[in-house]
Amino acid sequence: MKNYIATILMSLSLLFVSSLASAAAVEIELVIKDHLFFPAEVEVPAGQKVKLRIINQDPTPEEFESYELNREKVIAGNRQTVIFIGPLSPGEYPFFGEFYPKTAQGKVIAK
Amino acid sequence: MRSIRLFLVASILATLTLFNFVAALQGYQSSMEEAEALFDRQLEDLAAIVLNIDVSGEVEGISLGNGILFQIWQSSELLAASSGSPAESILEFEEGFSFVNFDSYRWRGFTQFNPSSQRWVMVVERTDLRFILAENVVLESVLPILLGIPLVGLLIWSIVSLGLRPLDKLSTELKKKQAHDLSPVVYENSARELEQVIQSTNSFILRLDEVLEREKRFSADAAHELRTPISALKIQLHNLGEEIGSDHESFQQLQSGVERMQHLIEQLLSLYRTTPEKFAQNCHQVDLYQLVQEQIAQLYSSFENRNQILELSGDEALIEGDDFALQTLVSNLLSNANKYTPEGGKILVSVCEIDSDIVLSVEDSGPGIAEEDRLRIFDRFYRSDLGGNSNREMPGCGLGLTIVAHIAELHQARVVVEGSNFESGSAFRVKFRKKK
Amino acid sequence: MFINSVILLLQEILEAALLISVLLVITNLFHDIWGRSFVLRKTWIFYALILGCAGAWLYALVTPTVSEWFDYVGQEVVNSLIHLVSLGFLILLSWVAPSNYFSDKTSQRAQLVIASMVVIVLLALVREGSEILLYLGGVTSQSENVVPVLSGAVIGAGIGLSCGVILYYGLTSLSHTWAFRVCLLLLAFVCGNIASQIVMLLTQADWLPYTAIAWDTAGLLPENSITGRLLYALIGYEATPSILQAVCYGLAMLIIIFGPLFRLAWPGILAKNVEQ
Repeated sequence: MKNYIATILMSLSLLFVSSLASAAAVEIELVIKDHLFFPAEVEVPAGQKVKLRIINQDPTPEEFESYELNREKVIAGNRQTVIFIGPLSPGEYPFFGEFYPKTAQGKVIAK
Repeated sequence: MRSIRLFLVASILATLTLFNFVAALQGYQSSMEEAEALFDRQLEDLAAIVLNIDVSGEVEGISLGNGILFQIWQSSELLAASSGSPAESILEFEEGFSFVNFDSYRWRGFTQFNPSSQRWVMVVERTDLRFILAENVVLESVLPILLGIPLVGLLIWSIVSLGLRPLDKLSTELKKKQAHDLSPVVYENSARELEQVIQSTNSFILRLDEVLEREKRFSADAAHELRTPISALKIQLHNLGEEIGSDHESFQQLQSGVERMQHLIEQLLSLYRTTPEKFAQNCHQVDLYQLVQEQIAQLYSSFENRNQILELSGDEALIEGDDFALQTLVSNLLSNANKYTPEGGKILVSVCEIDSDIVLSVEDSGPGIAEEDRLRIFDRFYRSDLGGNSNREMPGCGLGLTIVAHIAELHQARVVVEGSNFESGSAFRVKFRKKK
Repeated sequence: MFINSVILLLQEILEAALLISVLLVITNLFHDIWGRSFVLRKTWIFYALILGCAGAWLYALVTPTVSEWFDYVGQEVVNSLIHLVSLGFLILLSWVAPSNYFSDKTSQRAQLVIASMVVIVLLALVREGSEILLYLGGVTSQSENVVPVLSGAVIGAGIGLSCGVILYYGLTSLSHTWAFRVCLLLLAFVCGNIASQIVMLLTQADWLPYTAIAWDTAGLLPENSITGRLLYALIGYEATPSILQAVCYGLAMLIIIFGPLFRLAWPGILAKNVEQ
C-alpha cells in the first residue's frame, strides 16, 4: 500500500516538473465587445498549451465557459484575464459567455 | 420538535414549485424553439422575395425593416443591397442558415443561390431583436405561473391548517381539561384518523378514574379503620398506666410506640388527602404570612420546651392554595426544625417576596444536611442518619418532607434545600408563585 | 436572458441548497448520537446564511481586483483557497469531531461541529453567491433585461430551493441509520467535487500540470442537460474530467470514507443507540 502511494506521488511530481519545463505557451487574444467574441473562431495549434488572454471591453461582467474545454471564469467589466487551455487534440471546442450566451458564442479550433 | 404543518406546507409547496417551474421552463424552451423555426421560415420567404427584385433600376435605399439586411451577389459583384449593409459580403457563399458577427451584433443569416440567374441572395436578421420579440411573447405565459406561487403557498397553508384542525381541536380539548376533570373527552364529528386516539384516551381516563376512586375509598376506610383501634388502644393504655403506674419502663416504650404509630397514620392520611382533584376544589386565596403565624402559635410550646429561639419576619403574602394542605406543609417544616435543632438553638422563619416569587424559608442552626442527602430527604420513609443514633430516637416516620414536596408540587411551588445563614444548619425554602 | 438567468441561478443555488440540506440532516443526527448531553440546534444555518450573503457581496465587490493578482489568475487561486478551507473543515467534521477527545467535553464538540458547518456553508455561499451577484448586477443594468432576468432568477432559485427541501424531507423520512449513511456518502461526494474543482482551477491557472482527459461521457450525459446539472450539484458530475481531477476526487472521497464519522454510521451505532 505504502509503495503504491509513493509511486503515485512520484509520478504526480514528475508530471508537475515536466509541465513546468514546457511552460512556454502560445498566447492568443480574445476580445469581448457588445457581448460578442472577437474573433468568434480562435485557431490554436494542437498538442500545445495555449494562454488565452481575454479582454472584456464591455462595462458588464462576462463568464467565459466551455464544457468541452472544461473551463469557467468570470471576467469583470472593462478588465482582462488569462485562461490556460490545452494541449488539445485537433478538433472544435465551442465556448460561450455564460452571462450573454445568445450572442457571446465562439469556438476554439485546434489544428 | 418536528412540525407536521411545516412539513406538509414546505414539502407540498416544494413539489408543486418544482413541477410547475420545470413545466414552465419546458414550455418556454419549446415555445422559443417554435419561434426560432418561425423566424427562420420568414427569413427563407424573405430570401425568395428578394431574389425576385428587379435589380435593373435604382435599388439603393430599400429597407426591409428594423434589423434585417440583404445583399444580392452575382459572380462576386454586389448587385443590390439594403441600406446600411456593408460593402463586403455579409455571409459565406454557401447555401443555408448560419450565424455571423458584424456591426457589433450577432446575426442569423440565410443564403440562397439561384442557378438560373446565377445570383446569391443573402438575408440576415439581428438575433437579439428577434430573440427579445419571441421572449416577450413567451414570458407572458410564464409570468402567471411565477406570480401564482405565493398565492399557492398561502392556499396550501390554509388547506393544511384546515386539515389539521381536528388535531388542534383535540389537543386544546385535552389541554384545557382540569386535573380533577376525569370525564371522557367528548368530541363530536371528529376525524376518522383520530377516533382511535380519542377512544384510547377515554379508556385511560376511565381506568384512571376507577383507580383514583379505589384509592379514595381506601384512604377513607383506612382513616376510619385505623383510627378507631388506635383510639381504643390509647384508652386502654391510659387505663393500664393508672393500674401499674406510668413510670414502668415497658409501659413507656409501649406508649411512645403507640404515639409513633398514630403519627405515622396521620401523616399517611394527609399524604392521601391532598390529591390534585381535592386540591383544585379547595384552592383559594391564602395569606401565607398569617398562616405561618398561626402554625407557630400552635407549635409554640414545643419550641419553648427545648429553649429554642424562634424568629418570624415578613409581611402579608397572598398566594393561591389549599388552607389545610399549606398548614400541613408549614407545620411539617416547623416541627422538623424543632426536632433537628439542638436545645437553645435558633430558628428563623420568613415569608418574603423575591422577584416574582413568594418565598417561605425555615432556617435552623441544627447540624445541617449533607449535600449528597439533599435530594434523598424528600423520598418516602428516608431518614437522615445525621446525628448518628440519636436520629433514630427522634419521633418521626420519614414522611414529613415527602408530604412537603408533594404539597409544594400541588401549588406549583419549588422546594430548595440549602445551608442556613447560621454557622451550621439547613434552610428550607419553598418558592410559591405570587397570586396575580 | 430569461433562460440564462434560470440556468445560472439554478446551478449555483442547487449546489448550496443540497449542501445545506445534507448538513441540516446531519445536525439532527449528531443531536441523536451526542446530543443527549448537549443541545445542537439548527439555528446555525441563520448565522451561516447571513454571513454567507455578506461574504458573497464583499467577494463580488473585490472580484475584479482579485482576478488581476498572480498575473491574472488570482480568481482561480483565491477560489481554490476557499475550496481548500472548506475541505479542511469537512475533514474537521469527519475526523476531529467524532474523536474520543471530546467524550467528556461535549459542549466543545458541539462548538466544533457548529463552527465547521457554519464555515462550510458560508464558503459555499461566498463562492456561489458572488457569481450570482456579479451576474445580476451586470445584466440588470440594462433596464429591458430586468423582467426576464429576475423572473428567470426566481424560477431557477425556486427549482434549486425546492430540490433542497425535497432532499431534506426525503432524508429525514429515512430511518436514522440510513439517513446517516446517505448523508455521509453525499458528503464524501461533496469532498470529491471540491477536490476536483481545486484541480480544475489550478490547471486553468497553469499552477498544476495538464493531464489527459480521464473519460468522455458528454455524448451519454451532457453536463448542460438538466440531469447533468443535478448530478453536478449532487455528486460533482463532470463529462470530461482530467485524470488528475478524477484521482483527487477519489482521494478526497476517501477522507470521508475512512474517517471515524463514517465508521460511526456504517456498523450502525445509531441503530443501537437511537432506534430502540
